[in-house]
Amino acid sequence: MKRLITAALVAAALIMSCAGDGDRSSPVTLMIGGAPAELDYWEKVIGDFTRETGIAVDLMRQPTDTDQRRQSLVVPLRAGEEDPDVFLMDIVWIGQFAASGWLEPLDGRIAGDGFNLNVFFQGIIEFADRYEGHVVAMPVYVDAGLLYYRKDIFQEHLTGKVPETWPELVEYCRVAQRSERRLHPDFWGFVWQGAQYEGLVCTFMEFALSNGGQLIDRNGNLTLDDPRNIEALEFMRDLIVTHKVSPPNTYTEMKEEEVRTFFESGQALFERNWPYAWGLHQAEGSPVKDRVGIALLPRFEGGRHAATLGGWHIGMSRSSDRKQDAWRLMQYIVSEPVQTGFALNLGWNPARQDVYNSPEIVENLPHLVALKEVFRTASPRPNLPYYSLLSRALQAELNKALSGMATAEEALKSAQAQGLEIMATYEE
Amino acid sequence: MGLGSRLSDRRTAYLFLLPLLVFISLFIVIPVLGTIWTSLFRDVTYLETAFALFGNYRRLLADASFWQSMKFTLLFVAVCIPLELFLGMVFALILNEKLPGRGVLRAAVLVPWAIPTIVAARTWELIYNYSYGLANWALALFHVASGPVNWLGTPLSSFGALVIADVWKTTPFVTIILLAGLQTIPEQIYEQARVDGTTFHQRFFRITLPILRPVIAVALIFRTIDTIRILDLIYVITGGGPGGSTTSLSLYGYKFFNEGDFGYGSAIAVVVFLMAFVLSITYLRVGGFRGAVE
Amino acid sequence: MSEKLIKRVLLAAGIVFMLIFCLTPFIYMIVVSVSGNPSFLSGSVDFSATLANYRDVITVKSLRFLTYLKNSIVIGGIVAVTVGGIAALSAYAVSRIEFRGRVWVPLAVLAFSMFPQISIVGYLYKLMRAAGLINTYPALILPYIAWTAPLAFYILLSYMMQIPRDFDDAAFVDGAGRFTIFRKIIVPVAMPGIVSAMLLVFIAAFNEFLFALMLTSDHKARTIPVGIALFEGLHGEVPWGYIMAASAIATFPLVVMSLYFQKFVIQDVTRGALKG
Repeated sequence: MKRLITAALVAAALIMSCAGDGDRSSPVTLMIGGAPAELDYWEKVIGDFTRETGIAVDLMRQPTDTDQRRQSLVVPLRAGEEDPDVFLMDIVWIGQFAASGWLEPLDGRIAGDGFNLNVFFQGIIEFADRYEGHVVAMPVYVDAGLLYYRKDIFQEHLTGKVPETWPELVEYCRVAQRSERRLHPDFWGFVWQGAQYEGLVCTFMEFALSNGGQLIDRNGNLTLDDPRNIEALEFMRDLIVTHKVSPPNTYTEMKEEEVRTFFESGQALFERNWPYAWGLHQAEGSPVKDRVGIALLPRFEGGRHAATLGGWHIGMSRSSDRKQDAWRLMQYIVSEPVQTGFALNLGWNPARQDVYNSPEIVENLPHLVALKEVFRTASPRPNLPYYSLLSRALQAELNKALSGMATAEEALKSAQAQGLEIMATYEE
Repeated sequence: MGLGSRLSDRRTAYLFLLPLLVFISLFIVIPVLGTIWTSLFRDVTYLETAFALFGNYRRLLADASFWQSMKFTLLFVAVCIPLELFLGMVFALILNEKLPGRGVLRAAVLVPWAIPTIVAARTWELIYNYSYGLANWALALFHVASGPVNWLGTPLSSFGALVIADVWKTTPFVTIILLAGLQTIPEQIYEQARVDGTTFHQRFFRITLPILRPVIAVALIFRTIDTIRILDLIYVITGGGPGGSTTSLSLYGYKFFNEGDFGYGSAIAVVVFLMAFVLSITYLRVGGFRGAVE
Repeated sequence: MSEKLIKRVLLAAGIVFMLIFCLTPFIYMIVVSVSGNPSFLSGSVDFSATLANYRDVITVKSLRFLTYLKNSIVIGGIVAVTVGGIAALSAYAVSRIEFRGRVWVPLAVLAFSMFPQISIVGYLYKLMRAAGLINTYPALILPYIAWTAPLAFYILLSYMMQIPRDFDDAAFVDGAGRFTIFRKIIVPVAMPGIVSAMLLVFIAAFNEFLFALMLTSDHKARTIPVGIALFEGLHGEVPWGYIMAASAIATFPLVVMSLYFQKFVIQDVTRGALKG
């Protein structure tokens, strides 16, 4: 009997003794995610910050997976914790976080410090970072969908001019496949993200918008089953099934990395991907080094060039206990020198327009300057708090259409119906 | 019985049980009660919280995606569990034999279970890869199929792919439990039976299985509970696709938690719990626990 | 005679199948971990053997792999031992002693363990936060104990139910108390069950992901599964080589432990001798 009690106490003492490093301290906490190399660079950035300002910053590292990163933020924010003070958000979360009251409005501080918002791409601030008129976040980097192509194949077999319209692109693919397949039986004309995930919505938006369609109209009404969207979706399926210029696993496996590695192995003519792929294509040992060009994504007849806007933004928690210092950290992160550093070291596209003119960038990353126009006109996804729910329903239906389980019209009509239900449930 | 006074005996029992109950109360019971409570509210992070009683549950009943995940989960459980039991039994019988290198064999059998689920899932994801995965390479090598199979391309093949991955991962668990049970059967019983002229068949079904009933029940219960809640494996390999056809209940609920609808997510969790509970009670009855305990 | 032959053949076939079944993906994992490029099976890239992945995983500081390994082993060990103890005690009580609510305890224990983790993690976070334990060992140890105890409890319960009461009675006659009986008689007999349970608990704690992700914020308390998940790149770049190398290294202690604890699980139970 006595032994039991002693044993229990010893055990308890043992366990408690492990509780050495409790998270009781209160430096400013910054929560981010990313690959180990990126996180290391962040350590360097905040190290510089601490040296300059004397403010200690604690880095909270999360894995790269988007869902896991969001979960890591939702739990403490919902619980009203003071940590994290500052964090990075995917552009599509801002709606939800802002509506949940987790983001500290920044207008007061911006005005107080004379911070000039015009230095950013204006469209981004207006469409993504505002909630009920207040600025609640600032962009750290920008992303937009691009068309990559093989310059060498162009010169060999094609006219050398980048396709302006989607039908032209299909023609180019056919020609290239005929000749390339003699050497590479697994060669495909056009690889893009069609798996069932958020990326599919991004891709779809580009096809739809370039046909004059839209997901939401100016008044906030859902327009998923717009006939122009349906046409675009049918075209996407045709790429795989009718024209056979995209591989059959497009709608099962093709996400960013699968697309990138496929193109990088030299087996594709065109690739739709985000700007990050450029650096990897140009890296030492890449089979397609110096053979890749970038262009705007094609459009349909009568439409316009479209690119989906992506990127990560930085926000401050309303429950933060170090708002003054947190704000200084945020300003530091979006300042010109630091943004230039991100661009040069991590290949991130700045959201600040002045960085694109800096001599370092012009010299080392000339392609970035060309992308400026794309970023300026990229289209954001609907900035709704329940956007992910909407996206999920849409992803499922789009994937059904691509895999042949439903026609494009059925899929989008079903998505529209589900979307309206979601809106009804989640609008106050 | 003559085991000391009844009172002090009972007190000893409570004392023995105390640590277990304390831990479970603090770290499971309280969160679980909290979850049930939350499921009765419209609890969305960006909306006013309001008491909804069965509102979430009514929404579930009308939710087609919910029923689809329910169907998938039940089917998945119905297919995986028997396979795991069968294979686990076979492996346990093999490992029960006196063989040279038994220790190494047992360690080998444990390998699938020892690998973290996330890693195992990624490995299977790579195996099922269309262009360079092991599965299609093996199929080509043995000329079994006419071309590469799009494993994760159709609901049926994805289902099969997931079943294989899950059975592979969890059979060791069943094997170990069944093996521990087999070890308690004294060799004498079999000797006697052999002398009496019985066949392996008869020995297995008339001696082994009945003795193993409680152990089989334990394996069944825990495997069922775990499989009903399956999340990690599916999340990594198929992400719930294609077309949401392989979305398990937990995966479905996870997405709502992520998006801030805690009320709805909690309701889904409660449904999962109820299903696991009902199934477990059934197993317990079959496994003869009540009788033995009484 | 022929029954023996059939049995031998079946046994051999069974062993071969078992090994192929269990080890093929693992071997594939190892092969990928020593390859320069994971797509070598498609024929477009040649297979090139390299140990760079292993070297990087162990030495590159930012990956902090060895720290995660240490955390996992310590946490897993503490959980396994603790759960072994409290589950054995509880199983003993339920299988042997008459008390009110005896039938309900197993049921309740089981019922509460059936909830999906995702629904519990929010509350656990609040609890740990309030106790100031976020990102410490106890933040994981305590929930893990609660989370894995039901499994160990049930394994040991079914095990102990088979141990005849006569063992206890004999000792009572000699004047031993409950705890002594437990310690000196039941535990040794139930050892295979206890060891099996502890092994399974250790593995469960070692490989758990969701709690580890949410209740820790950096390497001070992080475990292997989260550590490996952190290897992913920004756009889902999966460094297969690193992941497989890390997994191989992480699986190693588990396999070693299983090998070592074999002798406890193997028990030539000649009950007759014990009865005497």
